[in-house]
Amino acid sequence: MAVRGRHLALWGLFMAGGLLLPLLVDTGIIGRGTLRTIIMANFLAIFAMSWDVLSGRTGYISFGHPFLIGIGAYTTAILTRRFDVAVEYSIPIAVLVTMIGGAVLFIPALRIRGSYFALVTLAFMELVYQLVQVIRPDLTGGTRGMSGIVTLTKGAVQGYYLSFTLMALLGFFLWLLMKTRLGTALSAIGMNEDSVAGSGLNTTRLKLVAFMLGAFAAGLGGAFYVHYLGSIAPRALFDINFVFTIIVAALIGGAATITGPIFGAFFLTFLLEYLRPVLPGAERYLIYGGIALLVYMYQPGGLHKILEVGLERLRKRANP
Amino acid sequence: MSACLELTDLVKKFGGLVATSGVSFKVEQGESIGLIGPNGAGKTTIFSQIMGELRQTSGKILLYGRDIRRLSTPARIKRGIGRTYQVPRPFREMNVLENIRVGLMPDNIWKMVFEGPDRDREEELALSVGLSPGDLLRTPAELSMGDLRKLEMARTMATEPSIMLLDEVFAGLTKGEISQIGDLIGELRDDGMTFLIVSHDLPALEPLVDRCIALDQGRKIAEGPFDEVMRDEAVRASYLGG
Ligand SMILES: Nc1ncnc2c1ncn2[C@@H]1O[C@H](COP(=O)(O)OP(=O)(O)OP(=O)(O)O)[C@@H](O)[C@H]1O
Ligand SMILES: [Mg+2]
Repeated sequence: MAVRGRHLALWGLFMAGGLLLPLLVDTGIIGRGTLRTIIMANFLAIFAMSWDVLSGRTGYISFGHPFLIGIGAYTTAILTRRFDVAVEYSIPIAVLVTMIGGAVLFIPALRIRGSYFALVTLAFMELVYQLVQVIRPDLTGGTRGMSGIVTLTKGAVQGYYLSFTLMALLGFFLWLLMKTRLGTALSAIGMNEDSVAGSGLNTTRLKLVAFMLGAFAAGLGGAFYVHYLGSIAPRALFDINFVFTIIVAALIGGAATITGPIFGAFFLTFLLEYLRPVLPGAERYLIYGGIALLVYMYQPGGLHKILEVGLERLRKRANP
Repeated sequence: MSACLELTDLVKKFGGLVATSGVSFKVEQGESIGLIGPNGAGKTTIFSQIMGELRQTSGKILLYGRDIRRLSTPARIKRGIGRTYQVPRPFREMNVLENIRVGLMPDNIWKMVFEGPDRDREEELALSVGLSPGDLLRTPAELSMGDLRKLEMARTMATEPSIMLLDEVFAGLTKGEISQIGDLIGELRDDGMTFLIVSHDLPALEPLVDRCIALDQGRKIAEGPFDEVMRDEAVRASYLGG
């Protein structure tokens, strides 16, 4: 589990490659459309990582992740649009409020595990969805949502830089953190919570940390996402399809790995993009189930594991 | 001086079933006590109550004279009790060293993040229970039952208990492994460790304990030196009946 030079080099390469990528747009090798797809992948990667920290590790599967993303998104949207708060303040506030939301989402995890926990989180999502429509639609924009929210970037290239930098830095931070003994302890909870308590560790506190970290990432992602889009549409946000996209990205990428969800998010976003001409409607989402099943049958560890095993083979072949 | 561990009139009911029926006993510092009885006698249930994994219906549990009934399991572990499980419960996707790492971890988020694992200590613990150097990077799925029990011991020892509750340590072990674990228990006793040992393997248990407590149907039916307890009518009857 130790941090190796090789891993750091890979991160360096990933970041350098990501920052140089827009040069390919100038030379016409990739189109702006592709860049926009990558931006979506970057945001999905953030959401999938945040789900991974909270659920992938601890095994407390949340089906209500948009609950957290929505809190972040709505908080900054309302603060900037209705109260003219500057984004420098509204985004940190949004992240903090989302972390409080994370603590609220944690309450059922004190008592219930497994499928019931998943159900309760789904109810949380539905609850905020109803709330934004019913209470103070003058603030939230009700069913129609909000538009005209300040955007932080102009054009695809800037949007790309912002989303990539955010995703890469957050990913690196979470990855490093999960390489420490805290990551080991959180994984242990996912494997056998009673044994973690039996090893003298306060599992309640550990789970709370996981939820707060997940909420931190979700809030950050959600807040920047609205300031990228400039609008917020509750129906798309609090949508079960969105939940599935996040979970499937994390799972096919490889749960409890941080880097896995990044692969998963890119894989899924491009897959959906290429399927769009063939399957324009919601049927595309059916493909999720199929893909997830295939990856799972071939390698339950996901793309991350497939890549790891592949690299290991290459290395063995290089110096037998 | 007060006893190191003292149970008074402990009762545990599961619905209509009385799994622990008014059990009282004392364990002095440095003592080693065998807890015996047929299947379903209530041995494991007593361990779980001492650890706080099961809440007693009534009765008292004192650790070094202090009532620990309100403490959580991790808090009890911090006060020096540790147990192993009859059915080993390793972290299945972690290797041996990582499993032990969890036991060694301080219950402090800050230290977990900023202080690295103590690889030497992890290895030392693994080897001290008789795991081989080749086992260190193996996952539980690749270990024999005997090795899983040793891992269970190592993870418990990692929490630095002064009292260890061992549940069926010898089940599934070879003769060689039994004597290895026996030696380890002997060494720990020399260092002042207190033991409460559950075992169906009475010949293996005999040399390791100062005295025995026999349970049947949740009730303490005998207590005393190993031989005496073995000769006890009620004890013989319980084993024949069970
Ligand atoms: N969680 C539980 N719920 C209901 N009944 C239980 C529970 N745990 C144990 N029991 C019952 O309590 C009684 C005592 O069980 P316990 O596991 O303590 O016995 P034991 O002496 O450890 O037996 P063994 O030698 O088989 O391990 C048994 O009748 C068992 O079925
Ligand atoms: Mg038992």
